[in-house]
Amino acid sequence: MVNMALINIKQLKKTYRIGSMEIPALCGVSFQIERGEFVAIMGPSGSGKSTLMNLIGCLDRASSGTYLLEGADVSKLSEGARAAIRNRKVGFVFQSFNLLPRMSAVRNALLPMMYSDQRKDIRMARQALESVGLGNRLYHNPMQLSGGEQQRVAIARALINNPPLILGDEPTGNLDTTTGTEIMAIFQRLNEEGRTVIIVTHELDVARYAKRILRFRDGLLESDEPVEQQVIARPKSEQAQ
Amino acid sequence: MGILDAISTGLSELLSHKLRSALTMLGVIFGVAAVIAMVSIGEGAKQEALEQIRLMGIDVVHIRRAMTTGELLQKAQERSPYGLKYSDAESIGKTCDFARRVVPLREVFADVKIGEKPVPVKIVGTTPEYMDVARSELQRGRFLRDEDIRDHNLVCVLGAAAKRDLFGFDDPIGKTIKVSRQLFRVVGLMEPKEVGSAKAFAALRDLNSDVYIPITIALSDFQISSQEAIPSDYVGLRLVAMKMFQRPSRGNSPISEVIVQVENEAATVPTASVIRSVLNRQHRGIRDYEIIIPAELLRQSQQTQRIFNIVMAAIASISLLVGGIGIMNIMLATVTQRTREIGVRRCVGATRWDIIRQFMLEALVITCFGGLIGIGLGIGGARAIAVFANWNTVVSAHAVVMSFGVAALVGIIFGLYPAVRAASVDPIEALRYG
Repeated sequence: MVNMALINIKQLKKTYRIGSMEIPALCGVSFQIERGEFVAIMGPSGSGKSTLMNLIGCLDRASSGTYLLEGADVSKLSEGARAAIRNRKVGFVFQSFNLLPRMSAVRNALLPMMYSDQRKDIRMARQALESVGLGNRLYHNPMQLSGGEQQRVAIARALINNPPLILGDEPTGNLDTTTGTEIMAIFQRLNEEGRTVIIVTHELDVARYAKRILRFRDGLLESDEPVEQQVIARPKSEQAQ
Repeated sequence: MGILDAISTGLSELLSHKLRSALTMLGVIFGVAAVIAMVSIGEGAKQEALEQIRLMGIDVVHIRRAMTTGELLQKAQERSPYGLKYSDAESIGKTCDFARRVVPLREVFADVKIGEKPVPVKIVGTTPEYMDVARSELQRGRFLRDEDIRDHNLVCVLGAAAKRDLFGFDDPIGKTIKVSRQLFRVVGLMEPKEVGSAKAFAALRDLNSDVYIPITIALSDFQISSQEAIPSDYVGLRLVAMKMFQRPSRGNSPISEVIVQVENEAATVPTASVIRSVLNRQHRGIRDYEIIIPAELLRQSQQTQRIFNIVMAAIASISLLVGGIGIMNIMLATVTQRTREIGVRRCVGATRWDIIRQFMLEALVITCFGGLIGIGLGIGGARAIAVFANWNTVVSAHAVVMSFGVAALVGIIFGLYPAVRAASVDPIEALRYG
């Protein structure tokens, strides 16, 4: 099949074992995500959305069920192979940015390249940073950057190996509304360029920047609906025009 | 991640906590420096021992007048004369089967002047065989001959430094020098002999300042050099005065030294014990002589060296062990501190092996840096010891390479556990709570 789904999840379950207790985080969820989609995963805390995010990003292994990424069954892969997926296929963006504190923006953006087979190319890091509007902050340390700027560096880092899938875990959680809007604008632009974007959020306002919302509750998929009117993120600087 | 990238990451980690890194390195620095300094002291001592052997020869036994003090001196002075006598040399020659050559030496007390200026040469009476046992080479002319000894010829042979002091760059052969009131004709000139830095051998003359005359003349016409102490008490003083008016027989004439050359190195020890019993009998139990066996010296020095090496290895090992534990401790703390960073790296595609390699390289960077600094300190310390303690020290490349290798090994061993701990950090936990 030519147009297979990017992500194909069937009856995915995840149970955490702590001591003798078993805690079910995901109780069997199934859905598909095509290339180029912009999906928001919503739910209250404990709904399993973070667990799902970790599974999609190959940071964790499901207890049972199947997860096909680009048609390949991820659960059968070794840790080394999954590390390669995290490196080439997925770009993570976190709520608390997670930049390395003693490295410049350029070196932070370059980090995934250090773990790939490619020779590291500092020009690509510069390009990535320029594409998110940080061309004049290349050699600043995270301490010298605002929250929004740090998140942009994180996005540049997520993009450096040109992955098809971008995952954001509450990407605007630590940002004020204005800055958050700027960041969501970047995500929308990336989506328009053809990348698949999945963000986890508990705010409906943020979810409406996406085109489809998957709601979870108590480890199960509650609803799967398209967004009626996708809100186009327009940062204040553009709104003034 | 490429090796170079990993090393550069390690270096930037090191530099971002300069004080902490420096303190961490201390154990390795000290261990390496101690090894290098001590090995160079040992090497220097070995060189000195070998130098003595080279000068004296491995197949000889030297017997020398001893410096005696106190009670021993009094006892010795009751006999006249004390110290080695010519008859000792004769007895040794008769009783020692292994002795190939027996050469007596008598250093005499004499004035040598050029014009009015005194020249610091030593007049040494000896026999023709001296050149063989002393391993000296003749440059011009000839050495002493049997007929010179027999006929009491007034001839002499100059050492290289003596010739320079007496005649500058002129040819000395055929010229005469005035020794006290006698004129000696120069018949030969010795090659310069490199004495080296055999500092432990304080009694050794610089052979280059010697002027050799026939022993028979030295015995009959000169007083032995001022090694005879002037006693301070009346009885002793009277004995010395009496001695000055007695002309001892040839056999009883004091000499400075006897060099006995034996068949081979193995024969030195048995020969030495024969000599010891001969002299013991003849001197009636008074030890106013000393017997020096270069082969024994070498063996002793090798034994000392062995003990020294063991002690040094122990000290260095303990120091490196402590240093390594310190490094492991710091790195474990670092791993905890950088849990979140580890999570981020795993998240963007680092494998467990990448993490292990990164942290082990950081440990290696610390120990290798410390090793280099330790090498510098060790070499500097060895030089400082050579200057201040006046010991010979020789820095060997072998010690440098080996201690650097050990430093690296310490990094690998003590960096392994923290690296494995780092690699087993769960990325999800690290990102959430790290």
